[in-house]
Amino acid sequence: MRRYETIYILRPTMSENEITAVIENTNTILGTEGGQIISLDKWGVRTLAYEIKKETLGYYVFCDYASNPGNVIEMERRFRIDDSVMKYMTVKIEDAIDEEGIVSARGEYEAAAIAAARRAAEASDQEEDLDEDDTLDDDDVEND
Amino acid sequence: MPPKKRVFQRKRSCRFCSDKEMSIDYKDPKTLRNFVTERGKIIPRRIYGTCATHQRQLCEAIKRARQIALLPYSGSTQR
Repeated sequence: MRRYETIYILRPTMSENEITAVIENTNTILGTEGGQIISLDKWGVRTLAYEIKKETLGYYVFCDYASNPGNVIEMERRFRIDDSVMKYMTVKIEDAIDEEGIVSARGEYEAAAIAAARRAAEASDQEEDLDEDDTLDDDDVEND
Repeated sequence: MPPKKRVFQRKRSCRFCSDKEMSIDYKDPKTLRNFVTERGKIIPRRIYGTCATHQRQLCEAIKRARQIALLPYSGSTQR
């Protein structure tokens, strides 16, 4: 078993049911032969940095899992056929992962979620309006 | 006498070494944005003084983020 994470981008025009169908299909492929999903996170619709298949928006799905290389190949094959998946990327995190590793990885995600929730609660308590936008504004970057 | 070469010698230190909280992750385009130009090019480490290890990780992360459309390959993001 290896640990991977995959991000795939679905078409933004898809309905909630279609999205769940794609995600479930993917999870069943990954789940064969003892594969396990560690974390699945729907990032939702985001602006793409560049156009993919004429779309400027995309529905991001992030999945962290332990699975066999064969399952990943099969998943990517289906992604290539499936028109609803615009782009995907798989990154190998660990070469080998056992049951304990999976459990502890799940625990890490839960801890991170709790920490994030607490931070969000604190932020709303203090009612801070920090407008620190460190992203670059893209005005006056026109071609000259 | 050696010619006066370096007039400005700014003290630079690696941001990731000094701040252990900061992590390099390709899924976090907000942090990575600080290390690319407006046009989306990776800023060389002689500018920010990032150490070799972290610059390498940064480079990898930026390239991954580009693949999955979190960062642009070139040009600013159209929004």
